[in-house]
Amino acid sequence: MSTEASTERNQIPIKGARLRLGESPALVGSRCPSCDEHFYPPRYVCLNCYQEGLDEVALSTSGELWTYTVARMALPGTLTAAPYVIAQVRLPEGVQVATVLAGVDPEAVRIGMPLELAVEKASADSAGNDVMTFKFRPVKES
Amino acid sequence: MGERVVILGVGLHPFGRHPDKSIGDLTRVAALAALKDAGVEFKDIQAGFCGHVVQGVGAGLRAFAEVGMTGIPITNVELACASSSRAAMLAADAIVGGVYDLAMVIGLEKMQRGLLGGVGGAEGSYQSKMGINLMPALYALMAQRHMHLYGTKHEHFAQASVKSHRNGALNPNAQYQKALTLEDVLNSRMIADPITLYECSPTTDGASAVILASEKRARQYTNAPVFMDTWAGGTHKYIRGESDILEGPNALIAQKVYAKAGIGPEDVDVAQVHDAFSPGEVFLVEELGFCAQGEGGPFVWEGNTEITGRIPINTDGGLLSRGHPIGATGGAMITELTLQLRGQAGQRQVGGAKTALMHNAGIGGVNVIAFKR
Repeated sequence: MSTEASTERNQIPIKGARLRLGESPALVGSRCPSCDEHFYPPRYVCLNCYQEGLDEVALSTSGELWTYTVARMALPGTLTAAPYVIAQVRLPEGVQVATVLAGVDPEAVRIGMPLELAVEKASADSAGNDVMTFKFRPVKES
Repeated sequence: MGERVVILGVGLHPFGRHPDKSIGDLTRVAALAALKDAGVEFKDIQAGFCGHVVQGVGAGLRAFAEVGMTGIPITNVELACASSSRAAMLAADAIVGGVYDLAMVIGLEKMQRGLLGGVGGAEGSYQSKMGINLMPALYALMAQRHMHLYGTKHEHFAQASVKSHRNGALNPNAQYQKALTLEDVLNSRMIADPITLYECSPTTDGASAVILASEKRARQYTNAPVFMDTWAGGTHKYIRGESDILEGPNALIAQKVYAKAGIGPEDVDVAQVHDAFSPGEVFLVEELGFCAQGEGGPFVWEGNTEITGRIPINTDGGLLSRGHPIGATGGAMITELTLQLRGQAGQRQVGGAKTALMHNAGIGGVNVIAFKR
């Protein structure tokens, strides 16, 4: 998992994302102890069986592209420069995550392509922390 | 069985860019037109409902005050792009229940220019910082999925916009009254693949007004009433394993309305659907049952939704060409279908229209209404 070279700087996840940083980065979601439904972002009440108090779990870091579009314009305040690929990624748990694709030629994107989680520095905050965000990127062929 | 509901009067302020007009100015024109159309005086109105989204706290009360202050209850209703159709449904529910027999719905909006953000991302959130929270992209994601599953072509979506602009050119209240060719639409600037600029509804200033009455009350003013016959609303229902990026449960709500109204899609003579972006019409001809799932692209491409087609859709230009002042749009849809059922739609008239259906959606909330004469 590549991160910017930032030896001593503290890393924090971007606001609104439930991202576990460190050695094995992952999105943090919920798993229902009663019916095994998974959710991202995490929630308190299960939407499938209405169980309260779900378990926090690390979600799979790979999935496949369910749908996408290439944004040719960006709203003011967006950190990603157009053009960029907006994607819905389906994880093996059945969870769908809205994200942006990294390291991909927009013309080469195909529905169904395998993807993996990528963690990147988005910005720095006033306390000197690196604010980390997540994207998904094509799985490298070995 | 409660009272039947009649659309007694309709009025619009022409949709467009009106930087020099206040929301009061826009409202006044629409409201006075609707009162005149209904033949009633404001002092007879027993309740007001106002659909708007970003006009601020209590804007509906200020809007109604432009035409009168009679002490009636006024309620602000917000359901994003479906606010004023939901306001009309609430007014109609109260009429059916016998609470009122004459109510007025105002829809209004003045909008900023430029791209709209979508759902699920407060300012500074992951979604807005990363640029996921982009309204055209929501439709583009659905469009790409549709193309993948059914082989739908960009041209199919674009044709919906060509048709809507041709209709808009016949509507003096439309924001854009200029026909576009398929090439114009396809060659306009790409916004979010496959959606180009001319496949996006514009940002718009405008107001709509609708006067609803019980049938008994309406008979004092008209002997040819247009009925708001049946309506239903809904939101997403969580179903394990299903994706939830659609605008809402369109097919489910339409089926409810068809069943309650005792009609099927084949009985609908004219319809309004929520074409915030051109793929919307393709999705909705399928979801409302006008063609089979997956066949919406060719169905639109072959001209079935033209004024002279099998099921004329968005005869006033739709959101794409008439314009989409979000809080006012539902009322404009009701206005067009009322004119169609009265036979007052001029060059846009669908011959002999007796039954009409409208679909208006707002970020997960769906309204479907059937009208009859």
